[in-house]
Amino acid sequence: MSWAASPAAAAGGAVREPPGQPGRRGRASAGPRAVRSVSGILSVVGALVIWLILLGPVITLFTHLSGSSIASSLTAPGALQPLVTSLESGGVTLAVLFFFCTPLAWMLARGTLPFPRIWEAGVLCSLLLPPLVIGLLLVFMVGPYTAFGGLIAHLNLSATNTFLALVIAEVYESAPYYVLGAQAAFASVDPRLEQQAALLGDRPRRVFRRVTLPLASPGLAMALAVAWARAMGAFGAGIVIAYHPYGLPLQIWTTLQETGLASALPFALVLLVVALPLPLAAYVWSARAQSRRRG
Amino acid sequence: MLRADVEVDRRDFTVRAAIEVAAGERLALFGPSGAGKTTLLEAIAGLVQPRAGLIELADRTLTRTTAPRVLVPAWQRRVGLLRQDPGLFPHLSVRDNLAYARSADPRGTELAEVARALEIGELLDAMPARLSGGQQHRTALARRLLARFDALLLDEPYSGLDAVLRRTLTALVVRLVTERAVPSVLVAHELADAQSFADRMAVLDQGEILQVGEPDQVVLRPCSARVAELVGYLGFAPVPGRPGVLAGVHPERIAAGAAPERGLVLTGRVAGSRPAGAAWEADLLLPDSGQDGALSQQAVRGRDGRPGLAATVTCRLADRPGADGDTMTVTVLDPPCFSQDGIAVDGHVREGSRP
Repeated sequence: MSWAASPAAAAGGAVREPPGQPGRRGRASAGPRAVRSVSGILSVVGALVIWLILLGPVITLFTHLSGSSIASSLTAPGALQPLVTSLESGGVTLAVLFFFCTPLAWMLARGTLPFPRIWEAGVLCSLLLPPLVIGLLLVFMVGPYTAFGGLIAHLNLSATNTFLALVIAEVYESAPYYVLGAQAAFASVDPRLEQQAALLGDRPRRVFRRVTLPLASPGLAMALAVAWARAMGAFGAGIVIAYHPYGLPLQIWTTLQETGLASALPFALVLLVVALPLPLAAYVWSARAQSRRRG
Repeated sequence: MLRADVEVDRRDFTVRAAIEVAAGERLALFGPSGAGKTTLLEAIAGLVQPRAGLIELADRTLTRTTAPRVLVPAWQRRVGLLRQDPGLFPHLSVRDNLAYARSADPRGTELAEVARALEIGELLDAMPARLSGGQQHRTALARRLLARFDALLLDEPYSGLDAVLRRTLTALVVRLVTERAVPSVLVAHELADAQSFADRMAVLDQGEILQVGEPDQVVLRPCSARVAELVGYLGFAPVPGRPGVLAGVHPERIAAGAAPERGLVLTGRVAGSRPAGAAWEADLLLPDSGQDGALSQQAVRGRDGRPGLAATVTCRLADRPGADGDTMTVTVLDPPCFSQDGIAVDGHVREGSRP
């Protein structure tokens, strides 16, 4: 068919369509396109509404804060001590998670453990337990009259109402998020790349350092960031087992109890400012790593 | 010299195969998908552990399951494995990919030379995701060359590429393994790929090597009806005057007209025809030969795995055959002969050369 029409095209350089056809075609597609644009606008508006609702608490925070209330709250004596406590315990928690849970996540992702479902269920279990319940159970697990408590008492340590207790509470609240995120990150690394690295002469530890870790790192960073946010916000387990030295969430709680909403709000801002930058940085960094790979 | 004699358990069957490849020699492992070809390569590369067997490369023992047991890990084997997925590290530039092995120097002249020889010299600073399929395979090959190897294994590396690129890359690999005088093994499920690469070809089916020989010998003289089926024979026809003997019919080994001095002459009716490449493909419906009553429709394997008799024979012809229903005579050129049990028997089907 097109061969027959080609002399005209070759001569004139343009193919003229028979009259009437373009108009018909235009009308025919105008309907669906209009429907498509209406539904498109609706879906964007819908998404925007949901997004704003989700963002609502943050927006509310900024509309209810005044500079003077921030200043008066934050300049009170000892007001910033919980911030330091939270940062320190959060840092220790991340280090613990990274060194102890990364191998577990790797083994879960590679299926090297027997009965993988049971291992995964164990990780999920601590994710599904309400933090308050974790706190209660931790008292019976690591409290002063338990075997663990007795053991660390020899080292002059205690796991109730101490910095150690706070770290333990934060580890329990954030570990499952880290393990599951890191597992997904490792699972996204093609095992054939690791094989290729081995065939090029790298022993397993070098393969892990040069191929597995760099390829999983964007996902690992995101998992760490989520774990950090959980650790910063850990409250339920902490209030039972580590009321002292209290971190930011407990500070907000006690301020709320003692002096009311208005003076608690500035600390909420502090908590956000402390908890959010790491996830944001991890997000930006992993996005940049992805785009660098695309060349 | 690469020598492997292994038994590797797979979920469905056990691969039992023995191959020997001299330095500089190229062996093709040919067989259908799932025949155990890749498993054999992975056992040689050290990626899967054989249940029993011995693998030796040059003067090193890589795997031995009898005492004293040896299992050299993959990273110490110095065996290269190229797969269909080039396996470039996506977080490293082409240069860093090439220099991945410890023996490779990222600023050395060798890297630049190899890259230039493989026509990727301009791409050293690019990320792998930016490369075309052919460039990725060239990079994978260059990386392998720079990492040193004592044997090269190819697991259908270029089967996803277009024909021209595939031919170029295969020729490149052939040149390189010849230059370096290392044994190489190619796995292929396309006969043409195996033929264009190899000095010798091994036909593998269900984990067993059925025949080893020069590629054209394997195709022209398959040792069994099963090998014949794998290398492209589409049917069997009884040989007149030799009861119980069947001739293998390969669609590309057929000439139009009767030429009894060149092979087996078949006469039948055209049952259908279609253009095939630059030639024509025609189905020739044979008259009931009546040899064992039933003609199998599925030409190649009849009941209980014996060669079935062809009711129709597919042939490639240079000229357009007649219309459907027309009588047509063709000559099957020097066909291989098989017994009823599917074992190859000697002799040619030619006038004057009958045993």
